[in-house]
Amino acid sequence: MARSSSSSSSTAKDAQALIQSLRSAYAATPTNLKLIDLYVVFAVLTALIQVVYMAIVGSFPFNSFLSGVLSCVGTAVIAVCLRIQVNKENKEFKDLAPERAFADFVLCNLVLHLVIMNFLG
Amino acid sequence: MAKVSVYLTLTCLLPLLCNSFSPENPKSQRILVLIDDFAIKYSHSLFFKSLQTRGYDLDFRLADDSKLALQRYGQYLYDGLIIFAPSVEKFGGSIDLATILDFVDSGHDLILAADVGASDLVRDIAAECGADFDEDPAAVVIDHSGYAVSATDGDHTLIAGDDFLQSDVILGSKKTEAPVLFRGIGHSLNPANSLVLKVLSASPCAYSANPKTKLSSPPSLIGSAISLVSVVQARNNARILVSGSLDMFSNRLFRSGVQKAGSSTKHEKSGNEQFVTEISKWVFHERGHLKAVNVKHQKVGETNEPAIYRITDDLEYSVEIYEWTGDDWKPYVADDVQVQFYMMSPYILKNLSNDGKGLYSTSFRVPDVYGVFQFKIAYQRLGYTSLSLSKQIPVRPFRHNEYERFITAAYPYYGSSFSMMAGFFIFSIVYLYNK
Repeated sequence: MARSSSSSSSTAKDAQALIQSLRSAYAATPTNLKLIDLYVVFAVLTALIQVVYMAIVGSFPFNSFLSGVLSCVGTAVIAVCLRIQVNKENKEFKDLAPERAFADFVLCNLVLHLVIMNFLG
Repeated sequence: MAKVSVYLTLTCLLPLLCNSFSPENPKSQRILVLIDDFAIKYSHSLFFKSLQTRGYDLDFRLADDSKLALQRYGQYLYDGLIIFAPSVEKFGGSIDLATILDFVDSGHDLILAADVGASDLVRDIAAECGADFDEDPAAVVIDHSGYAVSATDGDHTLIAGDDFLQSDVILGSKKTEAPVLFRGIGHSLNPANSLVLKVLSASPCAYSANPKTKLSSPPSLIGSAISLVSVVQARNNARILVSGSLDMFSNRLFRSGVQKAGSSTKHEKSGNEQFVTEISKWVFHERGHLKAVNVKHQKVGETNEPAIYRITDDLEYSVEIYEWTGDDWKPYVADDVQVQFYMMSPYILKNLSNDGKGLYSTSFRVPDVYGVFQFKIAYQRLGYTSLSLSKQIPVRPFRHNEYERFITAAYPYYGSSFSMMAGFFIFSIVYLYNK
């Protein structure tokens, strides 16, 4: 009896310790990366809201639905690419200048929004 | 010069030769009357005279005349046929059961009168038309409570019939007050047959049996199932009258008074003449013959007929229906003509409203389904010719530029796309100028 309670409380304690370590590690990330993360969360939330709306109302102008969802998902994907390329801890992109990464980010977003505006209908 | 004038007169006369039966003028002109012997021509002269005063051209022939022919070289010589020859075993010339049925199948009318001692041929013709006479050749219709009181007749075979079909088209608008005198054989109709109608039924106490012999078993035809006079309107609108009594058409019964057994009213004149005249008018298409012409449809507000409609268009449909009065076409007035907008099943079923002059019209909105539709009118009423019109019309969906510019249901998606663009701008400013 005492063992199970202690094991359940120990798992709870472990979970809490895990969350604490994650939080402290995350606090150590640079501000610009946190900014990008915030941007990605905003995009994904918007996509989720649209999917829920379509589930309720139906997919009548399907092209508009796809356009809306893909703009959010595309934005999130491009922002994640920027985060990978700008992150100093990433060995793969060590030699890439962050300005170059940002320029790519801007170009991709331009193309994405051009396509979205055309498909929106 | 003489030849030219001869040609001219001949060409002037030609249009007159084409004056007979045509769909525009459905009144029959020439009727072949087949009789057993020429005495019938005189004993039934009132009936024949009433036909002749209405403009029919009667050709009296003996039923076994060897020169009888209904058609020559593929053209029918007559527009109607009256068979007053109940005892004929075989028709003469080229007429037989098959040619008579072909005659009716080609749209011509027939009056068939059987009588006591009717031959198998006459029974077969009636059976092909849907009326099954009693199989016992000696049976007549006997009614011990609905007979006509008569000084000479004791076995109650002369019946005073007053159980008529309720139809103003078939029997005329004036009600027959006096009963109709009938002496002859009865027939029954198959209840599954929807084309045949009992015009004069026997009373519930009537039965069909041989009056001279004792009945050993109950008769097969009894009561109101016995039809004394029936009509058939075939699907090609040919009309057939089958009567079990030739005497019903005779001068003697036309002129005689009638008193039904059990009733105290004595009518001076039987209802035979009125009944027979009215029903012969119906059989020869002087009443109840409709034609539907000038089917028109267009979008509301336009006059030309488009080749294709779009979904949710407003359109108008109109048709003109006329009834033949015997001399000319008069507008048909009814409030139950319906049009269907049909594709596998009627998407729209609407009553047509008429303007009193025969123009039936309505307007409705094309349903939200695309495909190939038909404007269908299927009008079948008791005693009238059946109208069956259908006009095919395709219906297309919206073109891509016929939708509304901004769809209300898509506003959240528009909003999210623009918010993503705004977010991109704000993010890039903040990211670049973040210290």
